[in-house]
Amino acid sequence: VQLDFAAREVTIKLVYYGPALSGKTSNLVALHGLAGADARGRLMTLETQDDRTLFFDLLPLTFRARDGDVSLRIKLFTVPGQPIHAATRRLVLQGADGVALIADSRVGETQHNAEAFYDLKKNLQTNGLELSKMPLVIQFNKRDLPDVRSEEELGELAARGKEPVYLAIATQGVGVVETLVGLLHLTWEKLDRTHNLSQKLSIDGDSLLSNAAHQLGESAPVSAILAKRMGGTRKPRQAVR
Amino acid sequence: MSEAMSMGLLPPSPEGQAQLAIAGVDGDPLRLEELVDKNALRELTDSSSRIFGLVMRVASSSGTILAGPAAPGPILSRLGDRGARVAADVLAGVLGGEHGAGAQTVVAPTGELFRVLRLEYDRRHTGWIVLGPYAAPASIEPPAALFAFAPDLDPGLAREAWTRVPRFAPGRVDEIAAHLGTVLEVMLFSGHKALVTSQMHIASIQESYRELCEKNERLEEAYERLKELDRLKSNFLATVSHELRTPLTSIMGYGEMLAEGVAGALNDEQRDFVETIRGKSEQLLGLIMSLLDLSKLENGTMPVRVSRLSLSAVIGEAVSTILPTAMKKNVLLETEVPPDLPPVLGDSDRLRQVFINLVDNAVKFTAPEGHVRLTARLTMARPAGEPGLVLVAPLRPVIEVRVADTGIGIGEAERDRVFDAFYQIDQSSTREYGGAGLGLAIVKRLIEAHQGSIHVEENEPHGTVFVVTLPAGRPSAVPPSRGGSMPPPRGGSIPPPSRGSLPPIFG
Repeated sequence: VQLDFAAREVTIKLVYYGPALSGKTSNLVALHGLAGADARGRLMTLETQDDRTLFFDLLPLTFRARDGDVSLRIKLFTVPGQPIHAATRRLVLQGADGVALIADSRVGETQHNAEAFYDLKKNLQTNGLELSKMPLVIQFNKRDLPDVRSEEELGELAARGKEPVYLAIATQGVGVVETLVGLLHLTWEKLDRTHNLSQKLSIDGDSLLSNAAHQLGESAPVSAILAKRMGGTRKPRQAVR
Repeated sequence: MSEAMSMGLLPPSPEGQAQLAIAGVDGDPLRLEELVDKNALRELTDSSSRIFGLVMRVASSSGTILAGPAAPGPILSRLGDRGARVAADVLAGVLGGEHGAGAQTVVAPTGELFRVLRLEYDRRHTGWIVLGPYAAPASIEPPAALFAFAPDLDPGLAREAWTRVPRFAPGRVDEIAAHLGTVLEVMLFSGHKALVTSQMHIASIQESYRELCEKNERLEEAYERLKELDRLKSNFLATVSHELRTPLTSIMGYGEMLAEGVAGALNDEQRDFVETIRGKSEQLLGLIMSLLDLSKLENGTMPVRVSRLSLSAVIGEAVSTILPTAMKKNVLLETEVPPDLPPVLGDSDRLRQVFINLVDNAVKFTAPEGHVRLTARLTMARPAGEPGLVLVAPLRPVIEVRVADTGIGIGEAERDRVFDAFYQIDQSSTREYGGAGLGLAIVKRLIEAHQGSIHVEENEPHGTVFVVTLPAGRPSAVPPSRGGSMPPPRGGSIPPPSRGSLPPIFG
């Protein structure tokens, strides 16, 4: 995180992690398409080979609070999923404020998802970060494909787990905003706790979040967006009356 | 923003780990002059000015002109030296104003118009595009501002100059400004992307390098430990072998005395038993001697008494040693050694040991009715693919000895490993052929101690060929003369090599 109280700017780094070809880049492409022209920057894709990310993708998003006074600058990164790019993954994770683990819903990919998670844990450790303290959401992508793990199974596991879980079809833009808003929500809460941001910037985190969702073309209230998650430590908040 | 309280809150990283600072994400905001090549920028401003007939300049966010003509427009050029001087002031004035986002029109003191576009990249001010001077199409007469700015300017000249100020409708200028803004933004993005890519490249390489260094260090440690263990093993072997030999010598001595009847006459059965004890003791002694040889060869303390010797004699002795075994097994053992082989510098005991071992092995692994053929010839070492081969000629003469059998053969994968100590191709406890797996290990080390080499080839249609090459000595260190004396070769009478029978290279 970079905090610039004079310019009233908060810069947050979020990393989309996951096994090779699970749809990390597709998430960014979808967000780029959904974000308003005011919010989105250019999607930077660094060197691809056969549709595979070599270094990372970077999508800058800038959300302004309702009064336009505070800017929330978000740098969304993806990592290359293939095992040989371990060094790159570790580098991209440096200074991450939150992580979305993009998993492939297909039954056959279960092992790869688990490996990616262990890899994430190890690389965070190498960077001096603790997984348990890192804002983390999990997205089960590719819900439109055959042979995917059932929603009941994932829901049951999510309820027992710690992290919010989202279902998505990134190529169709389904679930990507929910995933990002969910991650932003956790990340803001964590940063607010550590840096007292709401007070220092005299800003309401919820309104910032709802502005972000709005600029991503999502008109539903934040609580409704957050409610789409499965599991998560806290119970989803009640929809606004 | 410079006085902004900025906190880059990167967590501390473990020592030595590569740090990735991505331009435009970590650290200071991007600057136009860092991302775009100045010369390329000049080409853009020149070309755009020509195509649109409207002068284009690009400035950094701090107002420094990076590209675009320094020459004044038609009006200022009428002002002579003063024109050039004020040109800079005019531009500074244009850029010095408080301009918000988007494009603004600025009226210069000369009455000319300038359009100033604030360039943004990643929502941050990165520079300016300045278009102008130009005038509105309707403006026929020079404006009053011009005469106020330059009262001494001749009205006729001023009128003429004013007609040459390009005329643009505001909408058209905005189109051009928007287009050039996009072009520059694309250039900025490309420059940014290239910069980030190279930063990522460097950081990835550093990180991979660090990882490799760590691994190398661990491997090095493991290697050192293994080397130490290997040394301990050799010491252990040497000590144990020595300690085994001492009591064995006594066993054999007393056995011999018993056999000779020193302790009284033996009946047939007793003699049989004693002979068995002696035979097995000899076998055990051979093994122990091999172990000692191996450890001496490994730690380099094996004495090699070098003399000029005839290989044909050495081979002859080796063959005659094994011949009884071969005959008993009904394996045909033939040799073909030309009598005029040049001598070899070496230890005849050790070389005999080499060939006894090879021939013994060949017979051991050849079925009855098979044959073992031993041939020697003088040839040239032909190290294929050696660097500078054309320079190192003439090639070294070597004696090549081939021990070919028609036995079970050695698989391609095993051919190098048979020379490893204790290695047995058949490692099962019920293997057909005995031995400790030391013979070939010793053979290889002995040959290498003679600057020679050994390798395994396939025999046609089946079987194995062990190919030994030993450097051939010159016929004599001093030119052979009638009075020249050769150290007598041990173990055999060989005719001194005949000079005339050798290839010219020895001449």
